[in-house]
Amino acid sequence: TPRHATPSIPSRSLPARQPGNVLEEARIRLHVSSVPESLPCREQEFQDIYSFVESKIIDGTGGCMYISGVPGTGKTATVHEVMRCLQHAADVDEIPPFTFIEINGMKMTDPHQAYVQILQKLTGHKATADHAASLLEKRFSNPAPRKESTVLLVDELDLLWTRKQNVMYNLFDWPTRRHARLVVLTIANTMDLPERIMINRVASRLGLTRMSFQPYSFKQLQQIIMSRLNKVKAFEEDALQLVSRKVAALSGDARRCLDICRRATEICEHSAAERSATGLVGMSHVMEALNEMFSSSYITAVKCASVHEQLFLRAVIAEFRRLGLEEATFQQVFVQHQALCRVEGLQPIGVSEGLAVCQRLGACRLLLLEPSRLGVLQRVRLNVSQDDVLYALKAD
Amino acid sequence: MALLQHPGYEEEKLQRVAEQLPCREVQAGTLLALMGQPQQYSYPSIFIYGHRASGKSHVMNVLLKELELPHATVSCVECVSVALLFEQVLLSFFGCDAASLLPRSPSLSDFVRIYREQCSQSPARQTRYIVMEKAEILRDTDANLLPALLRLQELVEDNVTVILLSEIVWDTFRPNTGCFEPLLLNFPDYSKGELQQILSQDRHPSYSAEFYSSYINILLGVFYSVCRDLRELRHLAALNFSKFCEPLADGKVKETDTHKLWRNIEPHLKKAMQTVYLREVSSLQWEQIQQMEEKEAGVLRGLSAHTHVELPYYSKFLLIAAYLASYNPARTDKRFFLKHHGKIRKTNFLKKNEKTSNHLLGPKPFPLDRLLAIFYSVVDSRVAPTASIFSQISSLVTLQLLTQVSHDDQLDTPKYKCAVSLDFICAISRTVSFDIMKYLYDFL
Repeated sequence: TPRHATPSIPSRSLPARQPGNVLEEARIRLHVSSVPESLPCREQEFQDIYSFVESKIIDGTGGCMYISGVPGTGKTATVHEVMRCLQHAADVDEIPPFTFIEINGMKMTDPHQAYVQILQKLTGHKATADHAASLLEKRFSNPAPRKESTVLLVDELDLLWTRKQNVMYNLFDWPTRRHARLVVLTIANTMDLPERIMINRVASRLGLTRMSFQPYSFKQLQQIIMSRLNKVKAFEEDALQLVSRKVAALSGDARRCLDICRRATEICEHSAAERSATGLVGMSHVMEALNEMFSSSYITAVKCASVHEQLFLRAVIAEFRRLGLEEATFQQVFVQHQALCRVEGLQPIGVSEGLAVCQRLGACRLLLLEPSRLGVLQRVRLNVSQDDVLYALKAD
Repeated sequence: MALLQHPGYEEEKLQRVAEQLPCREVQAGTLLALMGQPQQYSYPSIFIYGHRASGKSHVMNVLLKELELPHATVSCVECVSVALLFEQVLLSFFGCDAASLLPRSPSLSDFVRIYREQCSQSPARQTRYIVMEKAEILRDTDANLLPALLRLQELVEDNVTVILLSEIVWDTFRPNTGCFEPLLLNFPDYSKGELQQILSQDRHPSYSAEFYSSYINILLGVFYSVCRDLRELRHLAALNFSKFCEPLADGKVKETDTHKLWRNIEPHLKKAMQTVYLREVSSLQWEQIQQMEEKEAGVLRGLSAHTHVELPYYSKFLLIAAYLASYNPARTDKRFFLKHHGKIRKTNFLKKNEKTSNHLLGPKPFPLDRLLAIFYSVVDSRVAPTASIFSQISSLVTLQLLTQVSHDDQLDTPKYKCAVSLDFICAISRTVSFDIMKYLYDFL
């Protein structure tokens, strides 16, 4: 066994190509990973976080801030932007120098790994979780002359939850020490996380400095895309408005919005190959991309199922109607299936074939099934609403 | 006999295979056709099912051995952990060096990695076969093992075919998340004629073939209605043949005198069905009985006759009380166990759901209080509720004569069930001269 095997992506032999046309350029600019020049529509939040951290650094004290908001509202991006600006300010000696470290709950195998990562990023030493905790404890509670302020960003805070909550407790307790000079910024998705999962002594240390990021409105989304594209003329006005209105109505997720725009440029490129269009992404392309992203795949799956699979779904619904329940055994459904076969003039299938049909539907999650070793006694439930199934079956 | 034919293999090898597989030519032919020529790719996985002793393992073994194909035969019963399974497969394909490369508790990806390394060093010139016997046990192992085995050819990129043998149909194997569907192949049961043909093959050398064949005919006449298992029938045939030959050795009858031979052996075989076939009497004992002329077969008490258990005096009464509590409805206790009860008739006493016999429904649970109440009314003398009485109850539980139900409350109000049969309790009550039939509600 290779002892130190680290998986890695093979290095690329050719350099990445330069964008050839407008659409490709737009696609690169719209990619989620490309860092925008500025963060529009988050000026207020930016200012709040900036002044909070700046005041703590200048005073040489510590504090906690809790930032919440649904995914794709720019929480992490805003904090990173703040840190970039502060770093710049420190470089030009406007504020005292500080160290910035970042940990992510999702990237840890175990909540206690947080100590190890913090210690490694602060000092470069490696230690076990317990040892690292005691070292950090000592570092933050003892006075030391010429100690720099530390800004710690904890992303995905809810994953640091342990049964005794000692990781969270320590993270929020260190800033309250006199000599700690630690600022902790925590990011999570739900607003009421401190009240829901934290015990009182942890929640009280987190304090009341809270900030919530509202979902983007359609105007803001439109502005974000415009600022990303930055004078690259690739979209029609109406198309952009449609995308942003649709996304704002559903979730207000900027990442989703960018994904749809990128998909629309791809569709536009495909259709341009067929017939010479204007070269801009129009309404029809955006509509197609929106349909691809938002329409339920279950209905398509039912539409494309085989004759007997569709018949089986009809038998399931017929049996549910007869029983007045949302659950039936395979045996009961199969009787209905055979009756339906006779009505449709199809050759009735055997029990094994029926089970195969049922379990295939279960494997693509149209049905919810019990383990197959129960045989004909396994219970069948629908994973989609009956109306969806009926709509899909009726459409053809 | 229809000979097996396949272009990829030598004629004489196929001839030898066909000789060893009587009545399985069709299945062997299908398998050969699926396997194709040795260097061709075969189907990734084949699932063979059929009843016990329908020749699944035998056909596979003979085919793979006689045609000298590289194969690994793995019994899933033996492989209590997947490590053993992987080790055995690597061992028989690549030798012990490869098997020793496996880490202590290998995962599936370890196995695939080592397999790929090894097969890049020694690529398959012939299809490799992995035969998994008793494949139904694979369902209880890791959820990813069965789907991975079904598409092992794809995973290791080698010319390998997995053959699963089972007595259970494929429908109950399919994982809920779907999998690669194997080819299904059924081995049907042997018919009476085929059984006769196969059993007649192992005849005694000192007797003629017709003589042995007529013996098999008689044997099947008696046993075919209850048993179609080839192994069981073969065992019975071997056990009883000496008895069949006895009149011949005495010189009373000739070989051709079938009727007299039948008259001689038939009651003997019928007795064997009740004793040897149920394993009441072991085969060794059966042979000894046959040698002892004067002692009739079946005189010896079988295993199930030894159900008599010696219990202490009060334990017997406790067991009787438990039996009464389990099989009588609680409402009837007053009538059975109190002296001055009103006269109640059975007919208007019955509730609707109590009309079926309790002995058909099985024992009902009862609380400890009721057991003790019945116990004191059944025992004539005065018994102090000492520790020994209570410890006897718990030792009856450890002897599995009583079972404790609902494990939530051990001390306060434990509930028990009586787990002995009617015959057993009758025997027990006879030893303490207690007429249990008088107290059982079902037998009034």
